[in-house]
Amino acid sequence: MIDQVKRVVIVGGGSAGWLTAGIIAAEHAAASDQGLEVILVEAPDIKPIGVGEGTWPSMRATLERMGISETEFIGQCDVSFKQGSRFNGWIRGGDAPADHYYHPFTLPTGYPEVNLAVPWQQVRDQVSYAEAVCPQVAVCNGNLAPKTISTPEYAFALNYGYHLNAGKFADFLRRHCTQTLGVTHIKAHVSGVRSADNGDISALLIDQGEPIVGDLFVDCTGLAARLLGEHYGIGYVSKRGVLFNDTALAVQVDYPQPDAPIVSHTLSTAQRAGWVWDIGLPTRRGVGYVYSSAHSTDESAEAAVRAYLAPTIGKDAERVELRKLSFNPGHRREFWHRNCVAVGLSAGFLEPLEATALVLVELSATMIAEQLPSNRQVMDVVAGRFNRRFLYHWERIIDFLKLHYVLSERRDSDYWRDNLDASSVPDTLAEQLLLWRHDYPWRQDTVHAEEMFPSASFAYVLYGMGFSTAPFPHRRRRDQKACARAGELFRQTRADAQKLSGCLPSNRALLKKINAYGLQTI
Amino acid sequence: MTSHQLLNNIDHKELRVITKRAAEYGDQVMFSPTFPDEFRSVQAHYPIFFYKDNATGQFQAAAMFGFSTGENLFLSDRGWDATYIPLGIVRQPFLIGFQEFQEDGVSKTQRVIHLDMDSPRISKTEGESLFLEYGGNSPYLEQVASALELMHQGFERAPTFIAALLEHELLESFSLDIELNDGSNHQLQGFYTINEDTLAKLGGDQLAALNEAGWLQPIYMAIASQSHIRDLIERKNLQMARET
Ligand SMILES: Cc1cc2nc3c(=O)[nH]c(=O)nc-3n(C[C@H](O)[C@H](O)[C@H](O)COP(=O)(O)OP(=O)(O)OC[C@H]3O[C@@H](n4cnc5c(N)ncnc54)[C@H](O)[C@@H]3O)c2cc1C
Repeated sequence: MIDQVKRVVIVGGGSAGWLTAGIIAAEHAAASDQGLEVILVEAPDIKPIGVGEGTWPSMRATLERMGISETEFIGQCDVSFKQGSRFNGWIRGGDAPADHYYHPFTLPTGYPEVNLAVPWQQVRDQVSYAEAVCPQVAVCNGNLAPKTISTPEYAFALNYGYHLNAGKFADFLRRHCTQTLGVTHIKAHVSGVRSADNGDISALLIDQGEPIVGDLFVDCTGLAARLLGEHYGIGYVSKRGVLFNDTALAVQVDYPQPDAPIVSHTLSTAQRAGWVWDIGLPTRRGVGYVYSSAHSTDESAEAAVRAYLAPTIGKDAERVELRKLSFNPGHRREFWHRNCVAVGLSAGFLEPLEATALVLVELSATMIAEQLPSNRQVMDVVAGRFNRRFLYHWERIIDFLKLHYVLSERRDSDYWRDNLDASSVPDTLAEQLLLWRHDYPWRQDTVHAEEMFPSASFAYVLYGMGFSTAPFPHRRRRDQKACARAGELFRQTRADAQKLSGCLPSNRALLKKINAYGLQTI
Repeated sequence: MTSHQLLNNIDHKELRVITKRAAEYGDQVMFSPTFPDEFRSVQAHYPIFFYKDNATGQFQAAAMFGFSTGENLFLSDRGWDATYIPLGIVRQPFLIGFQEFQEDGVSKTQRVIHLDMDSPRISKTEGESLFLEYGGNSPYLEQVASALELMHQGFERAPTFIAALLEHELLESFSLDIELNDGSNHQLQGFYTINEDTLAKLGGDQLAALNEAGWLQPIYMAIASQSHIRDLIERKNLQMARET
């Protein structure tokens, strides 16, 4: 048959391009003669964006599926362990250390049989929700690792993702893709498109050399969206009216001493017009202020970053060089059009509050790999499904990110006040919030088989932020069950926290050991 | 913290070492590390399992004496009930140390014997003396020295053995469920054994390579040693019967 899908061409060599190449190549045996042909084209004159250093736990499965050794990945990409996020100053603002909560990666004790959010209401004045239901909080507080040197690769004592050096990660993936997975790497600038009669892309024109023909083209060209945006003109749905942040000032700072503790979660500290991320790698910290240009000038944003850094790096805070990145929060109206699908920043971007960009890349590439149409006839069906699924994902992410803002009691700037404006809150979120005022987040909030956020994530944010759910007006079997087991499960959480705090090494100590001895695969 | 001293015939001239086997001398242990060259002797009495060293996560072989921490089913009032005791036990309270020295202006390291001064085996009145009257090594110390040397060589080769096992995916984790005569159930976790199915599927070339490296014999020794699990369970049953 003429129109079989035999060759997939990926344009772009950032994290999105190489992850997509690796995931597809591994699934379709690109390294063997009978496998699919996978080509990645990358413009040598356009650098990848070079940020995006926090991942979800899903990255473990993604790397493992690509046949990557976790030990090598950790050694070569300046990796540290990420066990969740800690939100500072989001509840009421101000510096009080009490104004913080955790969104840990480990699900609550007893989940999904028992909903501990119900009995927790009785002790909410004594213990934070996350601490009551999840031993990971204590481990994060101690800057401890989520596993030991005896834990096999990708296995854990507590669920974890990674903090990593984005530049080194793309290089590492490139080596693995080209040396092991059979991906062909072409360095060339895509300058145009040759169209087929039906409007498909038949080949990419490059600055030097023969056009690159292919059956499916994956647009991983970053914010440029060279194929889906520029060539096909697929519209962009801006979400600026919901999520105001559109600018970032990023900076890399050294530790005061080389063996300073490495924080095992992403710190997110609320500011007057946005929030600051703070990610600890073994070698340095990556810090950045994500803010709304409508609510802050670049100058006052810069001052805020420097003020944030001063307590930890002293006078250097005045000197460090900041890098400015601008983006339009939102996503394409559709992602898969004809024989072209966008993955990564080309598909859209929202502030990295819950580090949702790379996980969307993983999900997109996995769906492309698993449902790769065998020929052109069936491609439109798969495209339709892909578009519906990912529109849904984007909407849920937008709701989840906005949730962080609408729960805040901060009123110290227009930014926080504007975030409460009803016109900025999506209907789906407003509905959900109304429900949550009268019932706890639970499995009913899972509409699709493949949700990005389990109800546990909503609960961590809601109750971390001090949200109240009214008690159900009459007794329900499931609430009774939860209350009956509460004592035992709270005790178990405390015991686990204590045990793990006693036996887990520090984040830095474990990383050193992994670099010295490696993790076992079994 | 244990205090290790470099053994010498001046400071340690008067010292003696108690070689009796008993709990009070630190023999109440669940297992002893062992190495492939010792498997032949070990497998005649003990199951050989593999475990991960806590400090490094690296695999080690172990001669098993019991099912839980601090349980040694070979130990009784009458001493150690087996004709072979693994070198990891026998060498106590000595260990190999390294010393830097200069030779022709080049700094080199040599192996030396260290002594754990905190060991309850060390005595002034009882046990084997270490040195002869005029400073020469006692026959006991000579024996210890050769045991330490053997161990050192053996443990130095062991990582290559482990690497070969891992490369061929010959290690698998297992959990042992034990039912004792009194009806109680126990589980032993955190240990690994040779995966016999994988071994059976290895091709001729792979087997030849393992054989050439000297690893085929210890692999089969480790497999053969599994028959002593029964023996260990019997010892446990007997011990419990005695206690009740
Ligand atoms: C401030 C900020 C913070 C972020 N934090 C996180 C985070 O914590 N977690 C997370 O998951 N994500 C985060 N992200 C998102 C993350 O950085 C991106 O999703 C990720 O890096 C993927 O980028 P990309 O590969 O799509 O694009 P890019 O890295 O921009 O790569 C684009 C590639 O396309 C190539 N290219 C472009 N045009 C052409 C052409 N015409 N011809 C050939 N090649 C071309 C370029 O050479 C380049 O290789 C963050 C993003 C920003 C802006």
